[in-house]
Amino acid sequence: MSDPLDAVFRAASGRIIAGLAARFRSLDLAEEALAEACARAVTAWARDTPRDPAAWLYRVAERIALDRVRQAGVRAAARLPEPESDPTPEQLMLDARPIPDERLALIFTCCHPAIHPEARAALTLRLVCGLSTEEIARAFLSAEPTIAQRLVRAKRKIAGAGIGFDVPGPDGWADRLDAVLTTLDIAYAHAHADGAGSGRHADYAREMLGITATLALMLPHEPEVLALAATVRFAEARRPARVNADGVMVPLSEQDPARWDTALIAEGRHYLAAAARIGPYRPRVVAALIHAEWCARGSLSEPPPWRNILTIYDALLSVRDDAITRLNRAVALAEVAGYEAALEEVDALDLPGLAHFLPYHAVRAGLLYRLGLNEAARAAYDSALALGPGDAERKWLERRRAEVS
Amino acid sequence: MKYMLMIYENEAVYDDGTGAAMGAIIEKHMAFGEEVGPAMLHGAGLQPVTTATTVRTDGGVQTLHDGPFAETREQLGGFYLVEAADLDAAIAIAKKIPLAANGAVEVRPVMAPPGM
Repeated sequence: MSDPLDAVFRAASGRIIAGLAARFRSLDLAEEALAEACARAVTAWARDTPRDPAAWLYRVAERIALDRVRQAGVRAAARLPEPESDPTPEQLMLDARPIPDERLALIFTCCHPAIHPEARAALTLRLVCGLSTEEIARAFLSAEPTIAQRLVRAKRKIAGAGIGFDVPGPDGWADRLDAVLTTLDIAYAHAHADGAGSGRHADYAREMLGITATLALMLPHEPEVLALAATVRFAEARRPARVNADGVMVPLSEQDPARWDTALIAEGRHYLAAAARIGPYRPRVVAALIHAEWCARGSLSEPPPWRNILTIYDALLSVRDDAITRLNRAVALAEVAGYEAALEEVDALDLPGLAHFLPYHAVRAGLLYRLGLNEAARAAYDSALALGPGDAERKWLERRRAEVS
Repeated sequence: MKYMLMIYENEAVYDDGTGAAMGAIIEKHMAFGEEVGPAMLHGAGLQPVTTATTVRTDGGVQTLHDGPFAETREQLGGFYLVEAADLDAAIAIAKKIPLAANGAVEVRPVMAPPGM
């Protein structure tokens, strides 16, 4: 794919696939039509770029899908519109009508309980967020062929079993909400890992604000929905401070609060307050409290709130005890109880695939270095770097590694 | 789409010696059929698993066995064929199927004839 096309695809493929799938009731048709539209774009955009490239892709894919449906004669399966004449290439170039947003429906489809739990998030990341199989494999600490196979099976299940493309009615929510939330957690964590925010996931990190706001509007009494909306806002608020002028990642405790987005933090607090009123001990609500605590820091001259952070992590452990929570807690523990205690915690972690989890090596390397175990620290930094971090994090890890004499 | 809803139950729960349990569940199935209405295309209960005979083909050789194809506590005891817009609609019908006690309903789409 050419560069402008690649960028448009990343930003808009989720919306386009969702719009087409909801309209034509077929995921395969949606994907094939978009692929064909991308192929046509290579020639059509060679001379002139459309006013709204995403709208161009959607309209062209829509025509391709319509033609296929008509050829196949399966009118009944699709919601065919009134016949209209084909737009001219010039009209397409000027078309900037918005693409209908059916992503929420697509998320619920991808997270249907009839789909294997391990496939749901992969499918959502692939279809709604436009990630490649390789990127998903990295996010899940899995092998690429495993993910590819999961995706194929899940898509077959959707088509074969007739899983619909609608936002479920109220009695369908409970069954499906947890799968949706877990999926969005993973999707956002992946976007957030790109510290510079200029990488391939920058757009959908921002879109998560919209998706979580929509979910919160539809489910105002679900504390974890509200907490997720809060977390995404706290995390996005800090984005401007996450990378310095040299493009190097800035760890949370060294970020200048003056550069945080106060409007987003206020929005986050609004969601979190509502969540805490309904379900103060739900895991996502407690996790959002950690973000809120950091965002309460007024300036760099105030000491980082490590002790409070550790207290909240202890509370989180009582409702969600897993290796990732323990790893994050160890960072706070190091500042409160010392590096040795933290390293003991980290070395006691047990999770298959941890060796491929970059933050594990980065946290370990920092602790080893502070304890003067330079050789082990270097090896740990090398392990982290070998896992292919984003630009900003790579530069930070390289600097830290260079400090280890 | 057409879906087959296959009902798996431990048929011992109907074996109360008086037929009262069977009578009660049949009444519930009749009410269920009326509630589902025209989406219900077909359905039937099966005779007890003690009446089952299995024809097995293995390497071209066919043999007969007394009993169901697999011995499990819960057995296929009946089925419905329904018309539903999508899986969720079929699941909604499946959830209403009356069961005497514990059990499971497997929801399977039926292959469309070629050209449909």
